[in-house]
Parts: sequence; C-alpha cells; structure tokens
Amino acid sequence: MPNRKASRNAYYFFVQEKIPELRRRGLPVARVADAIPYCSADWAKPVFTPLRRPGMLVPKQNVSPPDMSTLSLKGDQALLGGIFYFLNIFSHGELPPHCEQRFLPCEIGCVKYSLQEGIMADFHSFINPGEIPRGFRFHCQAASDSSHKIPISNFERGHNQATVLQNLYRFIHPNPGNWPPIYCKSDDRTRVNWCLKHMAKASEIRQDLQLLTVEDLVVGIYQQKFLKEPSKTWIRSLLDVAMWDYSSNTRCKWHEENDILFCALAVCKKIAYCISNSLATLFGIQLTEAHVPLQDYEASNSVTPKMVVLDAGRYQKLRVGSSGFSHFNSADQEQRSNTPIGDYPSRAKTSGQNSSVRGRGITRLLESISNSSSNIHKFSNCDTSLSSYMSQKDGYKSFSSLS
Amino acid sequence: MSGRARVKARGIARSPSATEVGRTQASPLPTSVDLSNNEASSSNGFLGTSRISTNDKYGISSGDAGSNSMERGVKNKQDFMDLSICTREKLAHVRDCKTGSSGIPVKLVTNLFNLDFPQDWQLYQYHVTYVPDLASRRLRIALLYSHSELSNKAKAFDGAILFLSQKLEEKVTELSSETQRGETIKMTITLKRELPSSSPVCIQVFNIIFRKILKKLSMYQIGRNFYNPSEPVEIPQHKLSLWPGFAISVSYFESKLLFSADVSYKVLRNETVLEFMTALCQRTGLSGFTQTCEKQLIGLIVLTRYNNRTYSIDDIDWSVKPTHTFQKRDGTEITYVDYYKQQYDITVSDLNQPMLVSLLKRKRNDNSEARLAHLIPELCFLTGLTDQATSNFQLMKAVAEKTRLPPSGRQQRLARLVDNIQRNTNARFELETWGLHFGSQISLTGRVVPSEKILMQDHICQPVSAADWSKDIRTCKILNAQSLNTWLILCSDRTEYVAESFLNCLRRVAGSMGFNVDYPKIIKVQENPAAFVRAVQQYVDPDVQLVMCILPSNQKTYYDSIKKYLSSDCPVPSQCVLARTLNKQGMMMSIATKIAMQMTCKIGGELWAVEIPLKSLMVVGIDVCKDALSKDVMVVGCVASVNPGITRWFSRCILQRTMTDVADCLKVFMTGALNKWYKYNHDLPARIIVYRAGVGDGQLKTLVEYEVPQLLSSVAGSSSNTSSRLSVIVVRKKCMPRFFTEMNRTVQNPPLGTVVDSEATRNEWYDFYLISQVACRGTVSPTYYNVIYDDNGLKPDHMQRLTFKLCHLYYNWPGIVSVPAPCQYAHKLTFLVAQSIHKEPSLELANHLFYL
Repeated sequence: MPNRKASRNAYYFFVQEKIPELRRRGLPVARVADAIPYCSADWAKPVFTPLRRPGMLVPKQNVSPPDMSTLSLKGDQALLGGIFYFLNIFSHGELPPHCEQRFLPCEIGCVKYSLQEGIMADFHSFINPGEIPRGFRFHCQAASDSSHKIPISNFERGHNQATVLQNLYRFIHPNPGNWPPIYCKSDDRTRVNWCLKHMAKASEIRQDLQLLTVEDLVVGIYQQKFLKEPSKTWIRSLLDVAMWDYSSNTRCKWHEENDILFCALAVCKKIAYCISNSLATLFGIQLTEAHVPLQDYEASNSVTPKMVVLDAGRYQKLRVGSSGFSHFNSADQEQRSNTPIGDYPSRAKTSGQNSSVRGRGITRLLESISNSSSNIHKFSNCDTSLSSYMSQKDGYKSFSSLS
Repeated sequence: MSGRARVKARGIARSPSATEVGRTQASPLPTSVDLSNNEASSSNGFLGTSRISTNDKYGISSGDAGSNSMERGVKNKQDFMDLSICTREKLAHVRDCKTGSSGIPVKLVTNLFNLDFPQDWQLYQYHVTYVPDLASRRLRIALLYSHSELSNKAKAFDGAILFLSQKLEEKVTELSSETQRGETIKMTITLKRELPSSSPVCIQVFNIIFRKILKKLSMYQIGRNFYNPSEPVEIPQHKLSLWPGFAISVSYFESKLLFSADVSYKVLRNETVLEFMTALCQRTGLSGFTQTCEKQLIGLIVLTRYNNRTYSIDDIDWSVKPTHTFQKRDGTEITYVDYYKQQYDITVSDLNQPMLVSLLKRKRNDNSEARLAHLIPELCFLTGLTDQATSNFQLMKAVAEKTRLPPSGRQQRLARLVDNIQRNTNARFELETWGLHFGSQISLTGRVVPSEKILMQDHICQPVSAADWSKDIRTCKILNAQSLNTWLILCSDRTEYVAESFLNCLRRVAGSMGFNVDYPKIIKVQENPAAFVRAVQQYVDPDVQLVMCILPSNQKTYYDSIKKYLSSDCPVPSQCVLARTLNKQGMMMSIATKIAMQMTCKIGGELWAVEIPLKSLMVVGIDVCKDALSKDVMVVGCVASVNPGITRWFSRCILQRTMTDVADCLKVFMTGALNKWYKYNHDLPARIIVYRAGVGDGQLKTLVEYEVPQLLSSVAGSSSNTSSRLSVIVVRKKCMPRFFTEMNRTVQNPPLGTVVDSEATRNEWYDFYLISQVACRGTVSPTYYNVIYDDNGLKPDHMQRLTFKLCHLYYNWPGIVSVPAPCQYAHKLTFLVAQSIHKEPSLELANHLFYL
C-alpha cells in the first residue's frame, strides 16, 4: 500500500495556504483537490514567503535591489505614497502565564498614515473586556490605574469585541485586494497580536493580520532612502519622545477629557508624529497638520489666551542689542508656525556632524531662529517658504536635492 | 475548589518594595537540607535592604509574605546564601584584624543576647520514610510524635527530616503505627548526619526552636514577625489597634551564636470588612455600591483573627453567600456557616454578605491553576494603613508616638521578652530539652569618630551639631556657584503674586550665598499640565539655564510631564515648587534658601566640602530600583565624583530589562565616569571606592561574581600603565542590631559618628556599623557597611572615617545623612527616573545634580 502521506508535497501545502483566499473570492473550494485548478497559475509565479514581506525584512548592511522590491515601494515616490497602518490595543494588565486569558483588551486605536499625506484617517474604540477572571480583579484594576485608567467594569463606552474587530477590518481594508501591513511597537506586539487573535475567536471572523514592528519599518525606510542602517537605539529614542504627550487632537475624546496620557489612539498618532518629524523631513516633505500637531504652536495665543510674557531686564537688553528684533513678538510666532518642526538626524549621520540631535525639533528651531536672528529679520514677509528658509542652513541643501 | 476556606494562605506581599520581588527571584534554591553544607544561617531578614518605605520609618512591619512553619524555615535558604560568601579571607590587610582604633571609646548596649549551650552540643539529623507513603504532613507528624521513643525528646520535624538533640539508640529505627482508619504504617528513621553547633543547619534549627518558643508565649506569626494580639495598643480616635511584636533571629556573629530581637508593630483596623461595607453603603447608598465597594476594598490586606493569617482581597464574589456550600479537600460538601461553626466555633451572623476572594500564592514550580480562597467579610479585619490614612498627619503622628519607641522603651520591651522566655514554663522547658540556655544581653565598645569641619568658600566652619548645620553656614558663601542669568518661571494666574514675592526672597538669599540670580522671564500659563508642557516647549531654548515651575497642585502629572520633557527630550535643569509651599509666609526665607541651594546644584554649583585626606580619589554610588510602570525594567543609577574635593558629580541612569536587582551596565558607566575624571584632572583616579546600595538578601554572591568583575574590567581597561585601585562596599540601611548608650542609668541613642566593628559584625566579612543620622524621635538605626572587595588596602580606621566624611556631602540637606552622599544621589536619581521619567535622562545633564 503506498504511503498516503507522500502526496503531501510542497504543492499540497501551497494550495492549502491558498484556500482561504480562494474562498474569499467566492470560489467553492472545500478540499485541496478542489483548489488545485485555481492555483496552478499562481504556482508558476515566484512568491515571497511571509518572511520576506515588508518590514519583517532583516536589516542588512548591503542593500541589494531585491530588498528594495520587498518593500513593495519603488523609489521615493512609492515610499512617500506607501500607506501604513499603526495599531495598538490596550489591555487591563497582563495575567500570569498559567492563565488561559493573558490579556483583557479594552481600547483600540489605529491610524492610516503615509509619509506624504501624514495621518489620513484614524480609528478608535473602547472594547468591552468581557468577564474578568475570578480573583484577578485587583491585578487588572491596579494595571489599569497605573496606565490608561479605563474602568474595568461598567464602562458603558466599551463595544462588543466582534463589532470592534469588524469595524477595524472595515477601516484598514475597505476594498477587496491585498491586506495592508499593520505596524505596532515591538514592545506591544505580543499583546496586540494576542488581543487580535482573541477578538477574532469571539467574532468568528478569520483574517490573520500580519503584525509588523514600527522599528523595522523605520529601519526599512531609512535603509531605502540612505542605503544605511540606523541604530536600534536611535530608532527607540526617535519613537519615544514626550513632546507630543499633551498635543491637541492626539488622544481620544475620553482620555483627553479625563486628562490621561495613556491612550491607544495617542500611541499610534505619536508614532506617526515621530516618523513625520524625523523621517518625512528627510524626504523634503513640508509638514502639515496631518503630520504633526502644528496647530498647538500656531495658535498658541488662542489656546492659552492668558499666557503673557513679562519681559524682564535681560530681555530688554537683548532687544536693544538685536537692533529692534523682538524674539517674542507676535510676528515671530507666526513665523515659527510656518516653519516646520525639524529634526534632522540624517544630517548628522550622513554629513558626519555632531549627532546629539533628537526629539527637540521645536527647541532647535527656536535656537536656529535666535542664532540667525540677524538673518531672519530680513524676511519681512512672514510666508517664508520652507525651502527658502532651509536653504539658509548649511548641510540641508544636499538633502533637498535628494528628494 | 475544595477546602478553599481552610487552605493556608500566607498573604501575598503587596508591599511596594522592589526588594521582595528581587529576593524571590534571586536564584532557584535547593529544597533539601542535605545540600546545606554551603550555607550558614541567620533568621530571615537579619539584614534587610536599604530601601526606605514609610512603614519602615514607623517601625511597622509591612511584609505579609510569611513563612509560618518550620519546613519553611528549613527550606527557605535565600537569606542564608550570603553567609557562604567569605570575602574577608581574600582581603589580606584585614584578615587578622578588621577593627579600627581611632576615636573615643563608647560603651554600647545592644539588642543581642547570648545563647549558651554545652561545649559538646550536637544535632542529629534523621530521615524518616513512611510505608505506605503518606501525603499529609500533619498525619506524618502526628504518627511520629505519638511514639514514646520520641515523645519526651526535643525534636523538630517537617514531615521528612527529623532533628533531635539526643541520639537515638539505633542508627536505623523502625516504628509502626496505626491510623484512625486502621491502616498500619511503617516508619523508618535513619540517621543521616551528626552536626556540630557551628553547622549552618543548626542555626536554622535554632531559629525554628525560637519560633516555637515565641508561639508558646502566645504570640502569632504574621509575615516573618511575631505579634501579641492579647496586649494591643489602641488608638481609638482613629479606630486603629497596634499589635506589639518582635522580629527575632538567631545567628552567628563575630565569635558566637547570638539571639537578636527588635520591636515591631502590626497595624490593624478595629473594623471588619462587613462593618466597612455597611458604613460605605449608608454613606453612598445602594446605587453603584458594588463598584464603590470594589474600588475601596480590592487590594487591601485583611487579617482573619480565627487563625491570625493575612489574605489580600483580590476580588469580591457577590453571587456567593455564607449559606452556600463548598467542597472540602476530602470531597464532602459543607456550607461556609457550618464550616466556621465546626472548625472555629464561630457563628456567622449575617447570612447575606458577599464573599471576599483571595488568590492564594502558588507553590514554586507549580503550574496548576491558581487557587482561590473565599473569606467571610464579617470575620476579616482590615490591616495596614490606606494612602488616605498615611496622608493624615494626625493619624500618622498618633501611630508614630506609639511605634517609635525611644531607646529606653525598646530596652524595656526587650527585657520583658527575655523575662517571659525565662519565666514561661513551656518556653523554658523547650529551651532546656534542647540543652540551650538564654544568656545575658551583649554590651560592647564602639568608637565615636571625630566630627568633621565643613569647608565653605572662605570659611571653615565647625558645626554645633553635624545633624544640621544650616544655621552655622548662614553667613558663609558657598564653594562655587554659576551665575543664573537666563531662566524662566512658569506660574498660573493665581500663583503669580506668590511667585513674585518668592522671587524677591530667592534673589536676596541667593545673593548672600554668593549665587547670582538674575531676573527671570515669568510666563503665565493656565492651570493644567498640558499648558505647562506647551509653555515649556515654546519658551525653552538652549540658552535657558533653568526652568522653574510653580505648580498649582501636587497632582503627579504636572511634575511627571515637566520632568519627562525637560530631562530627556529637551535637557534643561528644572525646579518644581508647589504653590502651597510658597504660601507659608513665615517660612519663606528658609524655603528660599533651600530652593536656592538646589538651584545652584542643578546648574553646576558646589555647596560645601569636607577635608578628604586622599588625593585622587573617586567615589561612586550605585543604587537600583524597579520602574514604577513596567515592572520588568530595572533602573540603575550611578553617580561618580569627578574632582578630588568630591564636590562635583557625574550622574547617569541606565534602564535595563532584567528580572534581577543586579546591574549589568556598570562598565559603560565606569568608562564614562573615568573619561570625565580624565578630562577634568588630566589623569586617572588613583583610587576608586564604590558604594553599592539596594542589595537584597542572597545577592552578595552575584555581586561578588558579576558586578565586581565589571567594575574591575572597566578600571583595568581604561589605562594600560597604572590601573586605579578599587574597593566595593555594600551599604545597607536596614539591619537587625541596634545600639544604645548607657547614660545616667537610662539608655539613649548613641552619638553621631559611632562606629561598631566588633562582636555584632560577622567573622567572614570585613564589615562595620556606622551611625550617621539622628533620630529626633525613636531609636536610631545604624547603617551597615560590608567591604566585599578592596584593592586600596586602606586601614579599617581610614575606611570608616572616609565613609563618615562622605555622609556629609549630600547637597540636598545641610547636615549628615544616613548613607554616603553618592548612594543618596544615586537613590534620588533612580527614584526620579522610576517614578516620573521612565526613560534614560539625557547625558547632557550628567554633569549636574539635575535630580535633586
């Protein structure tokens, strides 16, 4: 009797993997045998194994053309237009390993982002975590209290897990076709993955989202652009800044109203801000409100109408010294609002200059303004364009030529 | 879920102390006594850790992690591991003598007592096997003890290992017994070892004996300590009662076996959970009662007086009532009401109360499902103090009055304990059958090292008391101060007025100090954290030397968000002041002085110095702490002096993802610190002395084998020709011994600068105690120093005096502090990072004491 298992060759597994997709296309495939006719054409094509899909790409020193294509982005244009989704799911703490339920999903946030457009859309929802395992109420309560402070029970904003998942799918995948890659920070990956699986179980929707890490995405973009690999530490520090914590229109409404910093939506938006602030500028993209929360700095007077600067002795001296230029007059504030919040780590990297820069876009900008205050007052017109301002700065020129 | 209610629980340690966690993770331990050749013993917690918690200050036991029976005592060896590390024999210069000689001798009384036993005293260790095998430990013990061969002998038995003080006639003794069910059980007792009194196993057994004795004095073990519920100290106005008790241990000190006891209190509330619930219900009404109730109760620790055990409330089960049944371990069903009636003869009166749920601690290596215990609220008493209570000044004062015993009170309590042990027939009988005799209280001679002079800019001042020299230096100029020219004050509308008056005051006191403070730019912001952060982001430019924020409330988010942004994103020193503090008109001058001093340090000033006889000496302080948000992140703070006068510091904080309290980033830090030293002094330091704080029980070995090599390699790696000489000293703030001086027939706290380096120390270590703090109320606790590595070869005298000098250099307090300044700086830094910043502060700030 022939060994039946011998029939399970590579093609068998290939077809098996294809079955879900064929079913989605509406084809009546129940078994591998049914699916074989539909797969033959695909079998002939070379396929990328999941390991070589974008972001999962292991950073390599020498960037060869095939690696570029794995990013599925051709050249800068493709990179700039490429759409990424940043996803995060919060839980009421993490239960010990012997428990079947490791997490209790309670909040989800997701943003659609491209380097060119900035944040294009966002999705946020509270999730009903379900019954808290008996005996772990304290554990969950303590975890919640120390971070997002979402009530662990009787929280009327929480939605049914199945509904939330369906809405999320609708958000990231409105039209049929390939599912886009989803990213989250590497520290959160286990939790987000677990929660997605758990929610899928509850909702009986089968769609294995591919969850990649933001860190790898940044490596990928950077590598693509500069053919160099940035350090992990640099990426971590790039993604971990506190400056947007209180920016308006970053947290969800509930967290904003209760003034709580930990918000799943805010985490995703802050990833987008950080990438915009440090990477999008490398491509010479003018930052808009969709990239970083500019409006806070633009309209600072209207946000905090009572903010008054009491000029003291030193500044009067300074005013005299700098031939009428006042650092803090209103014109200057408009000026500032029109200039981007720039952080140019690559300048440091590529041109080998001092590399102490990170996460201080605004202050460095202020510094550059005050340093070059003698130059600035030449721009009587406040609509100084990015390029004309930037061309004043050494080292940047080489960059703008790159884009 | 069988017999939940009966299951022994040892309460789950909820104390925030990081050390508890660290200790349990220190290393997997052998569970059998047979392996115990390599460990000596003391009681649990002879040396605690240097972590300060509020509870420690009040001398209240906070640990609820308990070891309650003898098998725990035998098996739990984490604390005994340290004693196998004999560091002294490797240090040639102290091998013969580790005591100093300078200073004025002072006679001290201790809380240590002699424990006498005959010269030829021996302990016999037997192994007992049962055929057929029995699972129940209780049954094993009952069967064995019923035999006449053993009934009148002194014995300790954990179900498998039997200790006797007298040898059995045969090497192998066979006994048989019949159980109630009529089964015949054969027991074989085999002699395994004969142990001399110096054996580490004996010390464990001594500890077990003393636990038995304290139980015979009708004291109950809660956590590690023993309390006496029959003599509570009541504080009726706050519905509190304190159970007096002792922390005890037996261990080998310098030359002999000593018994030590320290007074401890357990705080209990005179309120059952049911009473609390009823009161809450009356206050809030029924709507939303369950949620309020859960919010208030969950996480608290309760004590059930019927068995004097503690449990933490992890959940409340509103669906279970006392009339419901549960399955006992033997499979029978019983209602909770009947169970308590049968087991403890307690009648439950309210049959409609919900049940509290406690998650029982899982045994090691046990992957089974978590076990739950259901408790009846009526029988549970609340323990400990809530945050609300600890912030109540009157309440804390009342508690402190009772718990902070002055030396005389402590001495009285000790005398009573000794008296009780000797008078109680049962206790005395137990001691006598073991052949032990409780001896006299130890007194020893310490030395008071000379007081230090404080060096100011053009003045050398001899403070009246080293405890506080703020008055002595009022007219003196500080050593070195940068001028503060560009700075900001952020305040709200409401606080603008106080900010102005404070600023005037600040400029006045700073001027007399020699610290020039220019007029700042004052920015008014709205009263919310976001407005503060935005203003900081908008107005801070690299010219700004310092940002002062007058915070409208002590809401943690203000402080955290400002510190987080200004320590890492945009590194500028910051000074936060509560508006409430500035409203105290009468104290404005002293507040302003203190803040001016902090500000000077934050922008790189130096306040004072002491004379350091060693040239080219770098001192380093290392402390560790768990991050408050993510428990798997360890915050390691390192602070090193960068000038020979020890007034300027290089501070760095490193976050590491490990589960242990051991630093693995020391080389990075040391290399940075040595580079800094080289930059300022154009040479490398000849000597480096590292003070390491935050060491838990059982970690000494890891320190010697893992951290010391890191330090050594960084010292060796940095210079090829001459390598700096290194010493490593472990600093512990919490230790068992207490010292009192006898004066006018009463005992008092010993003077500042008292050094003890004999009798209460350990023979295998180069260690000493130093008293470098003053207790205005209560008894002073000495700080314990253990030199685990020493290339410098300083005489013990010099090491002790240097340590004492370093206790004077903490710039946040014009007086002496309990640990050397670098340790205190490292502690302050780790605390800031662990509580507020949660990431590594920028290295641009490393040259300033930005965390004061």
